Amino acid sequence: MTAMPKLGADVDAQTERQVARFLTQYTRCLDEDRLEDWPSFFSGNGVYRALSRENEALGLPAPLMYYYSRAMMEDRVTALRDALTYEPVYTRHITSGLLIERGDDVLISRSDFALYQSTEEGITRLFAVGAYQDTITQENDRLAFIDRRVIVDTFGIQNLIATPL
Amino acid sequence: MATQPLENTSLEWPVSDFTRVPYQVFHDASLYAREKAALFHGPHWNYLCLEAEITQPGQYVTTYVGDTQVVVNRTEDGEVFAFINSCAHRGAQLVRKLRGEASSFTCAYHQWCFSNKGDLLGIPQQRGVKGKGGMPKDFDKSKHKLKTLRVATYKGLVFGTFSQETPPLRGYIGPALLEQIDRIFDRPIKLLGYYRQRVPANWKLYLENVKDPYNAGLLHLFHVTFGIYRPTMSGRVFMDESKGHSVLRTADIDESQDEVKSVYSGSEKYRPDYKLKDPSLFDVTPDYPDKVTNMIMTIFPNLMLGQVANTFQIRHVRPKGLKEFELFWTYFGFADDDEDAIEGKLRQSNFVGPAGYISLEDGEAGRLVQLGVEGRDPADSSIVRMGDDGVIDNQDTLATEVAVRGFWKHYAASLGLELAP
Repeated sequence: MTAMPKLGADVDAQTERQVARFLTQYTRCLDEDRLEDWPSFFSGNGVYRALSRENEALGLPAPLMYYYSRAMMEDRVTALRDALTYEPVYTRHITSGLLIERGDDVLISRSDFALYQSTEEGITRLFAVGAYQDTITQENDRLAFIDRRVIVDTFGIQNLIATPL
Repeated sequence: MATQPLENTSLEWPVSDFTRVPYQVFHDASLYAREKAALFHGPHWNYLCLEAEITQPGQYVTTYVGDTQVVVNRTEDGEVFAFINSCAHRGAQLVRKLRGEASSFTCAYHQWCFSNKGDLLGIPQQRGVKGKGGMPKDFDKSKHKLKTLRVATYKGLVFGTFSQETPPLRGYIGPALLEQIDRIFDRPIKLLGYYRQRVPANWKLYLENVKDPYNAGLLHLFHVTFGIYRPTMSGRVFMDESKGHSVLRTADIDESQDEVKSVYSGSEKYRPDYKLKDPSLFDVTPDYPDKVTNMIMTIFPNLMLGQVANTFQIRHVRPKGLKEFELFWTYFGFADDDEDAIEGKLRQSNFVGPAGYISLEDGEAGRLVQLGVEGRDPADSSIVRMGDDGVIDNQDTLATEVAVRGFWKHYAASLGLELAP
């Protein structure tokens, strides 16, 4: 059996717990429809980028979503609340496969997700599966994404993507 | 998918000027079968791919003509060949990867091998094994080619047709649209990526949507508020002779703020107070000096080629049954784009694609109409009268649905539908 390539150095149990908690708070924030809090998970110039696995595999850069400042993320939230026309759904993220390592001054993590959507009439569909590739900074004991890359396996998108993945 | 014989289509178009569209066209299985025969396998040029995707000999991509999967590849002598992705022997899917490189194609099922021009090169055990079995003596490999399409290209766009009667491509597209293609493909392009959306709607609802500038300024707050598209801009809708292809074009000239305010009085779609906290999305140098902010071209039956601000995209509307289509986006920039220009196009990808500020709403519009029309009486029809009744012709206004009427006129003619007297 071949070992997974190392992303960085091992982390202690306390850091591991802290990162796991941070990542869970992120998906809870989305699933509990507290979108206004979503940008606060990122550092000021943090980057959120969703890429189809197809483009990623082909080395093509076109992103599904690309926000490179917290201000842009706040703009997306305002648009979702006030401007955009889309089907209202409940979301539920199921995450697993968490791996955390320490890079130079940052934490690096990998995890997988399945995102279910439930309609207003209570029908649930698997909307997307994919992986998070994160670079996280520790600022005054607070964690923030410098970079959250979402690789979307389900890139044949079921109609549209409204809220962040 | 029910496939009824063609003669079972009992659709007579309710008005001969196409100001009404019977909802039946969005949920009649017999029409879907008729479309396949008349549009996708009939005398029309169907978009296949971009030449930029198959630049090297041996490169291939798979695509769709209607719901038929087709392989397009470039041969050693630089020509482009296309064939249905189905073995000449027992019909199995022949090419199993979406894209790749190959000089010949071998079926997984019985190892029949074909050249990249579709000729049958060899079959295992043709003369049997140990003197027994094998193909009959009269088996002639030259009579078992793959089912190929005629291919034609214009400025890097590759089209295919199954019919020998389809007129030459340039004439099919017509001079008014060729000029618009020339504008965009004035230099080599650079592929930036693909997007795929599965929209729960009949494929024609997307064509209606993108031929309709009336919705563009009312559905999309982003369009309106940030000046990509407003009905008060200098705008024009024009069509080819058949009226099946169309261009909607807006330019950021001759617009007065007073007019904008009066058009949107009482509407929440124009929000001068709406500001972005990070407006860098709009801080991108235009690619052309002509102030065109929005250009949506459709080529009958199911291709859209568009510009929204600095974004350029092919949108291929691929039917997946009666009530679903894949919107397959090919997103591109230009080979001479510098790093800033590419970064600008990646930023502005936030306008388009499945999550785009503008385009996500088009998917939702398709879903809403399909949901709405499902329960309607077969005799019911939609109203398409913006821009006035009468002759279907070019208009210098964006308060019009005339290109939608043009689409249905050409659709009905192509399917040979009867018109009410």
